Amino acid sequence: MTETAPILSWLDMVAAAGLLLLAGTVSLILRLGLEKRLLVAALRTVVQLLAVGYVLRFVFTGEKALIVAAMAAVMVTAAGHAAVQRSSRTFAGVHLIAFLALVLSAGATIWLVTGVVIGAEPWWRPRLMIPLLGMILGNGLTGISLCLDTLLERLDERRAAVEADLACGATRWEAAREPLREAVRKGMIPILNSMTVAGLVSLPGMMTGQILAGAEPLQAVRYQIVVMFMIAAATSLGGILVAVMVYRRMFNERHQLRRNLICRD
Amino acid sequence: MSDKPLLSCRGLAVSPGEDVLLSGLDLDLHAGELVALRGPSGCGKTSLLRVVCGLDDPAAGSITLDGHDGDEMGWPCFRRAVSLVAQEPLLPAGTIGAALARPFAFRSCSALAFDSARAHAMLSEFFNVPPAFDKNAGVLSVGERQRIALARALLLDVRVLLLDEPTSALDPDAARRVEIAVRTRAEKGLTALVVSHDPTQAERWCDRVVDLASYAGGAA
Repeated sequence: MTETAPILSWLDMVAAAGLLLLAGTVSLILRLGLEKRLLVAALRTVVQLLAVGYVLRFVFTGEKALIVAAMAAVMVTAAGHAAVQRSSRTFAGVHLIAFLALVLSAGATIWLVTGVVIGAEPWWRPRLMIPLLGMILGNGLTGISLCLDTLLERLDERRAAVEADLACGATRWEAAREPLREAVRKGMIPILNSMTVAGLVSLPGMMTGQILAGAEPLQAVRYQIVVMFMIAAATSLGGILVAVMVYRRMFNERHQLRRNLICRD
Repeated sequence: MSDKPLLSCRGLAVSPGEDVLLSGLDLDLHAGELVALRGPSGCGKTSLLRVVCGLDDPAAGSITLDGHDGDEMGWPCFRRAVSLVAQEPLLPAGTIGAALARPFAFRSCSALAFDSARAHAMLSEFFNVPPAFDKNAGVLSVGERQRIALARALLLDVRVLLLDEPTSALDPDAARRVEIAVRTRAEKGLTALVVSHDPTQAERWCDRVVDLASYAGGAA
């Protein structure tokens, strides 16, 4: 038997805000000086989530392909931008590469999951696709950003080793293979960690949400398994795509490392 | 020595950044010749060596080996024949043995097989006490790396060896060993282009010295 979660009223929200008073009091007693930041953060939480709630309601009720596509485009662009932000090294065209890698890896996996595994009609049904896309992109951007950072660091700091290989007859692929492998590996570590400890250390967020919303735990578990596999596939695909595209950009057809392209922040 | 040069540079201009460091450089190297490059710091000696082995493009001019350029030969094959040993070479992560054997896995070197005994013999030419093959290459000093990178290039039987300050981090005894090893192979046909800051070394070691001052700057 499934029970649905109790409906939350605005009064309940005010009660929840009382919890913040506790945090505020701690800050006051210990003179942490965080009251103002706490208030701003709380307001941001409310405003941002409300805004997203209205957007989601609009997108879900409309079920218009164009609107879903527009929302997906905004999400992918934001994720692509975030993926290149944290890297300490960069090069011209890095945004486009991160964006393409996310579009291709997220697009392929989401279609496989909603269209083939879950069998939704249409496959882009927003209630299903938008949250799943959010999870893919959230994890994918971490993977891509780690992969990118590692690859650029290796090509920059171990440049002399890469060029030593080239200088004794390595092809660009032979010289780049190890940095590429290391970068893709690095990008996959977070999702591998999550998969390893799933259910032991943390209850994955989506599963927790479904259970709170009244879903049968074993059904929630099945969904979570699908989501984990989906994220693993998207992250590895995204990492490989980024690595290959960066490789194509950093090495030319004369098997030279275009080291001058990399700029440090 | 035949009249036909092994390596030939024609109208070479070298410009690693905005500035043109060298221009109008014509240089012929014959088989078995040991040639030193001379010039003040920053005149483009290292940049020239990088251009000659094709790690960087020249701003103008051509480089050919036996009349063929890298585009015709394929750059990995070209560099497998015209190989650069950098002043501060970085070896791949792993052991010395793995670093020495590594190029033999490259497609362009597939005609050769790594001969461990030969590699041992090679290292004893350069070291009083050669380091063990299972030693971590990551902990080696610059001078040790220079000699291991040089040994690696010699094991590959390269035809033209480009050496950037190969003895800059070596004591006189080790430097002497390097000079003898390269000279011995030059007598068997190895060609080498050496950047050296030490004029007495250049005179003692090489057949002739090319002064880069006469090619400095200019328009590419």
